[in-house]
Amino acid sequence: MLGCHDFCGWYEWTFHFFRRRWGQEAVARLWAEAIGGESQRHYLDAGRKAGLAGLYHTWVKTGQDEACDWTFTLDEARNVLRWDMRRCPSKGFLIAQDCNADEDYCDHCMGWMIPLLDQVGVEVWEHEHNHLGQCWGTMRCKDRPAEPLEVEADIRRDPRWNSGYLDRWERGRKQPLMPEVSAAVDSCQLLVDWFAGCDQIVVVADEPAGSAETRPTEGSMPGPRDGILLTVPAYLQRPPLQPARGAVLIGHGVTTGAERECLAQLASKYLATSENQRPLLLHPYLPGRSTADWVSYRLPRPVPILPLLIRTGQYVHVPGSADPEDRFLLTALSRALQLASRGDSRR
Amino acid sequence: MSAPDFYFAANAIFRHLHDRYGKAALVEYWRSLATEYYRGRIEAWKSGGLKAVAEDWRAYFALEPAAEIDVIFEENAVELIVRVCPAIRHLRNHGRDIVPYFCEHCDHTCGAMAELAHMDFQRAGGMGACRQRFVPKTK
Repeated sequence: MLGCHDFCGWYEWTFHFFRRRWGQEAVARLWAEAIGGESQRHYLDAGRKAGLAGLYHTWVKTGQDEACDWTFTLDEARNVLRWDMRRCPSKGFLIAQDCNADEDYCDHCMGWMIPLLDQVGVEVWEHEHNHLGQCWGTMRCKDRPAEPLEVEADIRRDPRWNSGYLDRWERGRKQPLMPEVSAAVDSCQLLVDWFAGCDQIVVVADEPAGSAETRPTEGSMPGPRDGILLTVPAYLQRPPLQPARGAVLIGHGVTTGAERECLAQLASKYLATSENQRPLLLHPYLPGRSTADWVSYRLPRPVPILPLLIRTGQYVHVPGSADPEDRFLLTALSRALQLASRGDSRR
Repeated sequence: MSAPDFYFAANAIFRHLHDRYGKAALVEYWRSLATEYYRGRIEAWKSGGLKAVAEDWRAYFALEPAAEIDVIFEENAVELIVRVCPAIRHLRNHGRDIVPYFCEHCDHTCGAMAELAHMDFQRAGGMGACRQRFVPKTK
Protein backbone atom coordinates (compact mmCIF):
# COMPACT_ATOMS: atom_id res chain seq x y z
CA MET A 1 0.00 0.00 0.00
CA LEU A 2 0.88 3.66 -0.17
CA GLY A 3 1.49 4.61 3.41
CA CYS A 4 1.38 7.80 5.42
CA HIS A 5 4.83 7.65 6.98
CA ASP A 6 6.48 8.31 3.61
CA PHE A 7 3.54 10.25 2.19
CA CYS A 8 5.49 13.47 1.71
CA GLY A 9 7.92 11.70 -0.58
CA TRP A 10 5.38 10.29 -2.98
CA TYR A 11 3.26 13.43 -2.61
CA GLU A 12 6.18 15.49 -3.96
CA TRP A 13 6.65 12.95 -6.76
CA THR A 14 2.92 13.31 -7.54
CA PHE A 15 3.33 17.04 -8.16
CA HIS A 16 6.10 16.31 -10.64
CA PHE A 17 3.95 13.66 -12.34
CA PHE A 18 1.08 16.08 -12.75
CA ARG A 19 3.29 18.85 -14.14
CA ARG A 20 5.04 16.65 -16.70
CA ARG A 21 1.88 14.82 -17.68
CA TRP A 22 -0.68 17.65 -17.78
CA GLY A 23 1.18 20.91 -17.23
CA GLN A 24 1.49 23.61 -14.59
CA GLU A 25 -2.23 24.34 -14.33
CA ALA A 26 -2.92 20.70 -13.53
CA VAL A 27 -0.87 20.73 -10.34
CA ALA A 28 -2.55 23.98 -9.27
CA ARG A 29 -5.94 22.28 -9.73
CA LEU A 30 -4.74 19.25 -7.78
CA TRP A 31 -3.81 21.46 -4.84
CA ALA A 32 -6.99 23.52 -4.96
CA GLU A 33 -9.51 20.77 -5.68
CA ALA A 34 -8.15 17.53 -4.24
CA ILE A 35 -6.21 18.87 -1.27
CA GLY A 36 -8.04 22.10 -0.44
CA GLY A 37 -11.40 20.94 -1.76
CA GLU A 38 -11.56 17.47 -0.21
CA SER A 39 -8.62 16.28 1.84
CA GLN A 40 -8.41 19.35 4.07
CA ARG A 41 -12.14 19.91 4.47
CA HIS A 42 -11.78 19.74 8.26
CA TYR A 43 -10.14 23.17 8.03
CA LEU A 44 -13.10 24.42 6.02
CA ASP A 45 -15.52 23.04 8.62
CA ALA A 46 -13.52 24.60 11.45
CA GLY A 47 -13.32 27.96 9.71
CA ARG A 48 -17.07 27.99 9.04
CA LYS A 49 -17.87 27.13 12.66
CA ALA A 50 -15.42 29.37 14.47
CA GLY A 51 -13.49 31.60 12.07
CA LEU A 52 -9.86 32.24 12.91
CA ALA A 53 -10.22 30.50 16.26
CA GLY A 54 -11.49 27.36 14.58
CA LEU A 55 -8.61 27.41 12.12
CA TYR A 56 -6.17 27.98 14.97
CA HIS A 57 -7.33 24.90 16.91
CA THR A 58 -7.28 22.73 13.77
CA TRP A 59 -3.78 23.78 12.88
CA VAL A 60 -2.57 23.23 16.42
CA LYS A 61 -3.90 19.67 16.27
CA THR A 62 -2.23 19.11 12.91
CA GLY A 63 1.01 20.33 14.40
CA GLN A 64 0.75 17.77 17.18
CA ASP A 65 -0.07 14.94 14.78
CA GLU A 66 2.75 15.81 12.40
CA ALA A 67 5.28 16.85 15.05
CA CYS A 68 5.63 20.33 13.55
CA ASP A 69 8.19 22.60 15.19
CA TRP A 70 6.19 25.78 14.82
CA THR A 71 4.33 28.45 16.74
CA PHE A 72 0.77 29.46 15.93
CA THR A 73 -0.39 32.77 17.39
CA LEU A 74 -4.00 33.96 17.38
CA ASP A 75 -4.80 37.58 18.10
CA GLU A 76 -8.50 38.09 17.46
CA ALA A 77 -8.38 41.73 18.50
CA ARG A 78 -5.92 42.39 15.66
CA ASN A 79 -7.80 39.98 13.37
CA VAL A 80 -4.65 37.96 12.72
CA LEU A 81 -3.72 34.30 12.87
CA ARG A 82 0.01 33.88 12.42
CA TRP A 83 2.39 30.96 12.11
CA ASP A 84 6.19 30.75 12.31
CA MET A 85 7.62 27.42 11.18
CA ARG A 86 11.02 26.53 12.55
CA ARG A 87 11.29 23.09 11.01
CA CYS A 88 8.69 21.84 8.56
CA PRO A 89 8.39 18.06 9.03
CA SER A 90 7.11 17.69 5.50
CA LYS A 91 10.01 19.50 3.80
CA GLY A 92 12.26 18.01 6.43
CA PHE A 93 11.31 14.53 5.28
CA LEU A 94 12.23 15.39 1.70
CA ILE A 95 15.55 16.87 2.79
CA ALA A 96 16.38 13.86 4.98
CA GLN A 97 15.49 11.43 2.19
CA ASP A 98 17.32 13.48 -0.46
CA CYS A 99 14.13 13.87 -2.51
CA ASN A 100 13.79 16.56 -5.16
CA ALA A 101 11.50 15.24 -7.86
CA ASP A 102 9.42 18.39 -8.19
CA GLU A 103 10.19 21.99 -9.11
CA ASP A 104 8.78 23.55 -5.97
CA TYR A 105 7.20 21.44 -3.22
CA CYS A 106 6.75 24.34 -0.83
CA ASP A 107 4.26 26.15 -3.08
CA HIS A 108 1.64 23.48 -2.42
CA CYS A 109 0.62 24.91 0.95
CA MET A 110 -0.49 28.17 -0.61
CA GLY A 111 -1.95 26.11 -3.44
CA TRP A 112 -4.56 24.58 -1.17
CA MET A 113 -4.81 27.14 1.62
CA ILE A 114 -5.66 30.20 -0.43
CA PRO A 115 -8.73 28.76 -2.22
CA LEU A 116 -9.91 26.96 0.91
CA LEU A 117 -9.64 29.99 3.18
CA ASP A 118 -11.37 32.14 0.60
CA GLN A 119 -14.50 30.04 1.12
CA VAL A 120 -14.67 31.14 4.75
CA GLY A 121 -13.84 34.78 4.10
CA VAL A 122 -10.20 34.51 5.18
CA GLU A 123 -7.17 35.52 3.14
CA VAL A 124 -3.47 34.83 3.43
CA TRP A 125 -2.27 38.33 4.24
CA GLU A 126 1.46 37.62 3.95
CA HIS A 127 3.55 34.50 3.57
CA GLU A 128 7.17 33.69 2.88
CA HIS A 129 9.05 30.39 2.74
CA ASN A 130 12.74 29.77 2.23
CA HIS A 131 12.57 26.24 0.79
CA LEU A 132 14.71 24.91 3.64
CA GLY A 133 11.87 24.16 6.06
CA GLN A 134 11.35 27.62 7.54
CA CYS A 135 8.34 29.77 6.75
CA TRP A 136 5.91 32.25 8.26
CA GLY A 137 2.56 33.71 7.39
CA THR A 138 -0.49 35.60 8.55
CA MET A 139 -4.17 35.12 7.83
CA ARG A 140 -6.99 37.56 8.45
CA CYS A 141 -10.74 37.83 7.98
CA LYS A 142 -11.29 39.84 4.82
CA ASP A 143 -14.34 41.70 6.10
CA ARG A 144 -12.54 43.78 8.73
CA PRO A 145 -9.27 45.60 9.27
CA ALA A 146 -6.24 43.81 10.60
CA GLU A 147 -3.13 45.01 12.37
CA PRO A 148 0.33 43.49 11.93
CA LEU A 149 1.31 41.08 14.65
CA GLU A 150 4.90 40.90 15.83
CA VAL A 151 5.94 37.83 17.76
CA GLU A 152 8.96 36.68 19.68
CA ALA A 153 9.00 33.51 17.59
CA ASP A 154 9.44 35.43 14.30
CA ILE A 155 11.33 32.92 12.18
CA ARG A 156 13.04 35.71 10.27
CA ARG A 157 15.25 36.23 13.31
CA ASP A 158 16.47 32.63 13.00
CA PRO A 159 19.88 32.42 11.26
CA ARG A 160 18.61 29.57 9.07
CA TRP A 161 16.19 32.02 7.46
CA ASN A 162 19.03 33.66 5.55
CA SER A 163 20.17 30.59 3.68
CA GLY A 164 17.43 29.68 1.25
CA TYR A 165 15.61 31.50 -1.49
CA LEU A 166 12.29 33.16 -0.82
CA ASP A 167 8.88 32.96 -2.39
CA ARG A 168 6.50 35.60 -1.10
CA TRP A 169 2.72 36.08 -1.14
CA GLU A 170 0.76 39.21 -0.37
CA ARG A 171 -3.01 39.11 -0.05
CA GLY A 172 -3.18 35.67 -1.60
CA ARG A 173 -1.06 36.48 -4.65
CA LYS A 174 2.44 35.24 -5.34
CA GLN A 175 4.86 38.11 -5.79
CA PRO A 176 7.52 38.60 -8.50
CA LEU A 177 10.89 37.24 -7.44
CA MET A 178 12.85 40.14 -8.87
CA PRO A 179 10.42 42.88 -9.91
CA GLU A 180 13.30 45.00 -11.18
CA VAL A 181 14.00 42.27 -13.76
CA SER A 182 10.60 40.86 -14.66
CA ALA A 183 7.08 40.10 -13.46
CA ALA A 184 7.98 36.39 -13.17
CA VAL A 185 6.66 34.71 -10.03
CA ASP A 186 8.65 31.54 -10.53
CA SER A 187 12.35 31.04 -11.01
CA CYS A 188 11.96 29.22 -14.33
CA GLN A 189 10.38 32.22 -16.02
CA LEU A 190 12.76 34.61 -14.26
CA LEU A 191 15.75 32.81 -15.77
CA VAL A 192 14.16 32.86 -19.22
CA ASP A 193 13.39 36.57 -18.87
CA TRP A 194 16.92 37.35 -17.67
CA PHE A 195 18.43 35.85 -20.83
CA ALA A 196 15.65 36.94 -23.19
CA GLY A 197 16.99 38.26 -26.47
CA CYS A 198 20.40 36.59 -26.20
CA ASP A 199 21.63 35.04 -29.41
CA GLN A 200 23.24 32.14 -27.57
CA ILE A 201 24.15 31.12 -24.02
CA VAL A 202 27.88 30.40 -23.54
CA VAL A 203 29.15 28.37 -20.59
CA VAL A 204 32.51 29.26 -19.08
CA ALA A 205 33.65 26.90 -16.34
CA ASP A 206 36.69 27.33 -14.10
CA GLU A 207 40.12 27.24 -15.63
CA PRO A 208 43.45 26.29 -14.02
CA ALA A 209 44.91 29.00 -11.83
CA GLY A 210 47.12 31.41 -13.75
CA SER A 211 45.40 30.80 -17.03
CA ALA A 212 45.94 33.86 -19.18
CA GLU A 213 42.50 33.78 -20.65
CA THR A 214 39.38 31.82 -20.06
CA ARG A 215 37.85 29.89 -22.84
CA PRO A 216 34.27 28.86 -23.17
CA THR A 217 33.44 25.30 -22.24
CA GLU A 218 30.91 25.14 -25.01
CA GLY A 219 30.27 27.32 -27.99
CA SER A 220 32.26 30.26 -29.23
CA MET A 221 33.56 33.22 -27.27
CA PRO A 222 30.62 35.28 -26.05
CA GLY A 223 29.74 38.31 -28.08
CA PRO A 224 27.84 41.41 -27.06
CA ARG A 225 24.48 39.78 -27.83
CA ASP A 226 25.21 36.55 -25.97
CA GLY A 227 24.43 35.36 -22.49
CA ILE A 228 27.18 33.85 -20.36
CA LEU A 229 27.03 31.30 -17.53
CA LEU A 230 30.07 31.16 -15.27
CA THR A 231 31.33 29.15 -12.34
CA VAL A 232 32.65 31.19 -9.41
CA PRO A 233 36.33 30.64 -10.26
CA ALA A 234 35.69 31.66 -13.86
CA TYR A 235 33.86 34.78 -12.68
CA LEU A 236 36.70 35.72 -10.32
CA GLN A 237 39.40 35.22 -12.92
CA ARG A 238 37.64 36.97 -15.75
CA PRO A 239 38.03 40.63 -16.60
CA PRO A 240 34.82 42.65 -16.96
CA LEU A 241 32.68 41.23 -19.75
CA GLN A 242 30.46 42.86 -22.27
CA PRO A 243 27.95 40.12 -22.97
CA ALA A 244 24.30 40.93 -23.04
CA ARG A 245 23.58 39.02 -19.82
CA GLY A 246 25.63 37.07 -17.30
CA ALA A 247 24.98 34.68 -14.43
CA VAL A 248 27.28 33.02 -11.92
CA LEU A 249 26.60 29.62 -10.39
CA ILE A 250 27.56 29.47 -6.73
CA GLY A 251 27.92 25.72 -6.35
CA HIS A 252 27.65 23.85 -3.07
CA GLY A 253 31.42 23.40 -3.09
CA VAL A 254 31.87 27.14 -2.80
CA THR A 255 29.66 27.37 0.25
CA THR A 256 31.64 24.86 2.31
CA GLY A 257 35.03 24.53 3.93
CA ALA A 258 38.15 25.76 2.20
CA GLU A 259 36.32 27.16 -0.79
CA ARG A 260 34.39 29.65 1.33
CA GLU A 261 37.13 32.20 0.64
CA CYS A 262 35.92 32.16 -2.98
CA LEU A 263 32.49 33.20 -1.75
CA ALA A 264 33.94 36.18 0.09
CA GLN A 265 35.89 37.15 -3.04
CA LEU A 266 32.77 36.81 -5.16
CA ALA A 267 30.84 39.02 -2.79
CA SER A 268 33.58 41.62 -2.89
CA LYS A 269 33.72 41.67 -6.68
CA TYR A 270 29.94 41.59 -7.04
CA LEU A 271 29.36 44.49 -4.66
CA ALA A 272 32.12 46.53 -6.31
CA THR A 273 30.39 46.16 -9.69
CA SER A 274 27.86 48.77 -10.70
CA GLU A 275 24.34 47.50 -10.21
CA ASN A 276 23.37 47.45 -13.86
CA GLN A 277 26.38 45.29 -14.72
CA ARG A 278 26.06 42.71 -11.97
CA PRO A 279 25.48 39.11 -13.01
CA LEU A 280 22.52 37.10 -11.80
CA LEU A 281 23.55 34.81 -8.95
CA LEU A 282 22.47 31.18 -9.15
CA HIS A 283 22.61 28.21 -6.77
CA PRO A 284 21.55 24.53 -7.02
CA TYR A 285 19.90 24.28 -3.57
CA LEU A 286 20.24 20.48 -3.67
CA PRO A 287 18.32 19.00 -0.72
CA GLY A 288 20.21 19.00 2.54
CA ARG A 289 23.50 20.27 1.12
CA SER A 290 25.38 23.00 2.88
CA THR A 291 24.49 26.45 1.71
CA ALA A 292 25.47 29.97 2.75
CA ASP A 293 24.04 32.76 4.85
CA TRP A 294 23.56 35.02 1.85
CA VAL A 295 22.49 37.95 3.98
CA SER A 296 25.74 37.97 5.93
CA TYR A 297 27.66 38.31 2.65
CA ARG A 298 25.31 41.15 1.57
CA LEU A 299 24.45 39.12 -1.48
CA PRO A 300 20.99 38.77 -2.96
CA ARG A 301 19.66 35.26 -2.46
CA PRO A 302 20.73 33.32 -5.56
CA VAL A 303 18.07 32.12 -7.95
CA PRO A 304 17.51 28.35 -7.93
CA ILE A 305 18.32 26.46 -11.11
CA LEU A 306 16.87 23.01 -10.37
CA PRO A 307 13.25 24.04 -11.09
CA LEU A 308 14.07 24.95 -14.71
CA LEU A 309 16.31 21.93 -15.15
CA ILE A 310 13.55 19.65 -13.88
CA ARG A 311 10.83 21.37 -15.89
CA THR A 312 12.77 21.00 -19.15
CA GLY A 313 13.85 17.45 -18.42
CA GLN A 314 17.54 18.37 -18.18
CA TYR A 315 17.95 16.97 -14.68
CA VAL A 316 16.40 14.19 -12.66
CA HIS A 317 17.43 14.05 -9.02
CA VAL A 318 18.17 10.52 -7.86
CA PRO A 319 18.28 10.23 -4.06
CA GLY A 320 21.67 9.14 -2.84
CA SER A 321 23.50 9.75 -6.10
CA ALA A 322 26.64 11.86 -6.41
CA ASP A 323 26.12 15.59 -6.76
CA PRO A 324 26.39 16.94 -10.29
CA GLU A 325 29.42 19.11 -10.99
CA ASP A 326 28.97 22.82 -11.54
CA ARG A 327 30.09 22.51 -15.16
CA PHE A 328 27.42 19.88 -15.78
CA LEU A 329 24.75 22.06 -14.18
CA LEU A 330 25.67 25.09 -16.27
CA THR A 331 25.71 23.10 -19.48
CA ALA A 332 22.31 21.66 -18.60
CA LEU A 333 21.07 25.14 -17.76
CA SER A 334 22.21 26.44 -21.13
CA ARG A 335 20.18 23.72 -22.85
CA ALA A 336 17.22 24.34 -20.55
CA LEU A 337 17.20 28.04 -21.39
CA GLN A 338 17.23 27.29 -25.10
CA LEU A 339 14.35 24.84 -24.71
CA ALA A 340 12.34 27.15 -22.50
CA SER A 341 12.81 30.17 -24.73
CA ARG A 342 11.46 28.14 -27.64
CA GLY A 343 8.40 27.32 -25.55
CA ASP A 344 9.46 23.68 -25.45
CA SER A 345 9.50 23.39 -21.68
CA ARG A 346 8.77 19.67 -21.45
CA ARG A 347 10.69 16.73 -22.84
CA MET B 1 6.44 11.28 11.07
CA SER B 2 3.29 9.24 10.50
CA ALA B 3 0.27 11.45 10.29
CA PRO B 4 -2.80 9.40 9.42
CA ASP B 5 -4.61 12.44 8.02
CA PHE B 6 -2.36 11.96 4.99
CA TYR B 7 -4.65 9.08 4.06
CA PHE B 8 -7.31 11.74 3.36
CA ALA B 9 -4.97 13.23 0.78
CA ALA B 10 -4.31 9.85 -0.83
CA ASN B 11 -8.05 9.22 -1.19
CA ALA B 12 -8.60 12.73 -2.58
CA ILE B 13 -5.72 12.48 -5.07
CA PHE B 14 -7.05 9.18 -6.41
CA ARG B 15 -10.55 10.63 -6.84
CA HIS B 16 -9.29 13.84 -8.45
CA LEU B 17 -7.13 11.99 -10.95
CA HIS B 18 -9.85 9.45 -11.75
CA ASP B 19 -12.59 12.02 -12.24
CA ARG B 20 -10.47 14.49 -14.23
CA TYR B 21 -8.33 12.22 -16.35
CA GLY B 22 -9.91 8.77 -16.25
CA LYS B 23 -9.21 5.36 -14.78
CA ALA B 24 -6.43 4.53 -17.24
CA ALA B 25 -4.58 7.67 -16.18
CA LEU B 26 -4.98 6.72 -12.53
CA VAL B 27 -3.51 3.28 -13.21
CA GLU B 28 -0.64 4.91 -15.13
CA TYR B 29 -0.05 7.18 -12.11
CA TRP B 30 0.04 4.28 -9.65
CA ARG B 31 2.40 2.22 -11.77
CA SER B 32 4.71 5.16 -12.51
CA LEU B 33 4.77 6.12 -8.84
CA ALA B 34 5.78 2.64 -7.86
CA THR B 35 8.49 2.21 -10.48
CA GLU B 36 9.98 5.67 -10.05
CA TYR B 37 9.50 6.66 -6.42
CA TYR B 38 10.06 3.17 -5.04
CA ARG B 39 12.98 2.24 -7.30
CA GLY B 40 15.18 1.74 -4.23
CA ARG B 41 12.80 -0.77 -2.67
CA ILE B 42 12.47 -2.58 -5.98
CA GLU B 43 16.26 -2.94 -6.22
CA ALA B 44 16.32 -4.35 -2.70
CA TRP B 45 13.62 -6.88 -3.59
CA LYS B 46 15.48 -7.89 -6.73
CA SER B 47 18.75 -8.47 -4.99
CA GLY B 48 17.37 -9.91 -1.73
CA GLY B 49 14.45 -11.94 -3.02
CA LEU B 50 11.47 -12.89 -0.89
CA LYS B 51 13.38 -12.43 2.35
CA ALA B 52 13.99 -8.81 1.41
CA VAL B 53 10.32 -8.37 0.50
CA ALA B 54 9.27 -9.65 3.93
CA GLU B 55 11.77 -7.46 5.78
CA ASP B 56 10.76 -4.46 3.71
CA TRP B 57 7.06 -4.82 4.50
CA ARG B 58 7.67 -5.44 8.20
CA ALA B 59 9.65 -2.22 8.37
CA TYR B 60 7.11 -0.34 6.26
CA PHE B 61 4.03 -1.31 8.26
CA ALA B 62 5.81 -0.76 11.58
CA LEU B 63 5.67 2.92 10.71
CA GLU B 64 1.99 3.00 9.71
CA PRO B 65 -0.26 4.04 12.60
CA ALA B 66 -2.80 1.49 13.84
CA ALA B 67 -1.88 -1.08 11.19
CA GLU B 68 -2.62 -4.67 12.19
CA ILE B 69 -0.70 -6.70 9.67
CA ASP B 70 1.13 -10.00 9.80
CA VAL B 71 3.97 -10.56 7.35
CA ILE B 72 4.50 -14.26 6.73
CA PHE B 73 7.74 -15.35 5.06
CA GLU B 74 7.47 -18.76 3.43
CA GLU B 75 9.93 -20.58 1.23
CA ASN B 76 8.07 -19.69 -1.95
CA ALA B 77 5.96 -16.69 -1.00
CA VAL B 78 5.56 -13.68 1.20
CA GLU B 79 2.07 -13.18 2.50
CA LEU B 80 0.70 -10.01 4.07
CA ILE B 81 -2.33 -10.70 6.22
CA VAL B 82 -3.89 -7.28 6.56
CA ARG B 83 -6.22 -7.69 9.52
CA VAL B 84 -6.80 -3.95 9.80
CA CYS B 85 -5.81 -1.66 6.95
CA PRO B 86 -4.73 1.61 8.59
CA ALA B 87 -5.85 3.71 5.65
CA ILE B 88 -9.38 2.34 5.39
CA ARG B 89 -9.75 2.44 9.15
CA HIS B 90 -8.78 6.10 9.40
CA LEU B 91 -10.94 7.13 6.46
CA ARG B 92 -13.97 5.32 7.93
CA ASN B 93 -13.39 6.64 11.45
CA HIS B 94 -13.55 10.17 10.09
CA GLY B 95 -16.56 9.65 7.90
CA ARG B 96 -14.75 10.11 4.63
CA ASP B 97 -16.26 8.92 1.36
CA ILE B 98 -13.78 6.26 0.25
CA VAL B 99 -13.32 5.92 -3.49
CA PRO B 100 -14.56 2.45 -4.52
CA TYR B 101 -11.27 1.68 -6.28
CA PHE B 102 -9.07 2.66 -3.31
CA CYS B 103 -7.77 -0.88 -2.78
CA GLU B 104 -6.76 -1.17 -6.43
CA HIS B 105 -3.82 1.10 -5.71
CA CYS B 106 -2.18 -1.88 -4.00
CA ASP B 107 -2.75 -4.03 -7.08
CA HIS B 108 -1.00 -1.54 -9.33
CA THR B 109 1.75 -0.19 -7.09
CA CYS B 110 2.68 -3.54 -5.54
CA GLY B 111 2.04 -5.25 -8.85
CA ALA B 112 4.42 -2.93 -10.73
CA MET B 113 7.07 -3.29 -8.04
CA ALA B 114 6.71 -7.06 -8.04
CA GLU B 115 6.99 -7.24 -11.83
CA LEU B 116 10.28 -5.39 -11.85
CA ALA B 117 11.53 -7.68 -9.08
CA HIS B 118 10.54 -10.72 -11.17
CA MET B 119 7.63 -11.60 -8.93
CA ASP B 120 3.87 -11.83 -9.17
CA PHE B 121 1.44 -10.09 -6.85
CA GLN B 122 -2.04 -11.18 -5.84
CA ARG B 123 -4.64 -9.65 -3.56
CA ALA B 124 -7.79 -11.18 -2.08
CA GLY B 125 -10.27 -9.14 -0.07
CA GLY B 126 -10.21 -5.43 0.55
CA MET B 127 -11.91 -2.40 2.03
CA GLY B 128 -10.39 -2.92 5.43
CA ALA B 129 -8.93 -6.40 5.44
CA CYS B 130 -7.17 -8.43 2.78
CA ARG B 131 -4.42 -10.91 2.02
CA GLN B 132 -1.60 -10.07 -0.36
CA ARG B 133 0.93 -12.50 -1.79
CA PHE B 134 4.26 -12.04 -3.50
CA VAL B 135 5.55 -15.10 -5.33
CA PRO B 136 8.50 -15.57 -7.66
CA LYS B 137 7.50 -15.55 -11.31
CA THR B 138 7.15 -19.03 -12.68
CA LYS B 139 9.41 -19.64 -15.64
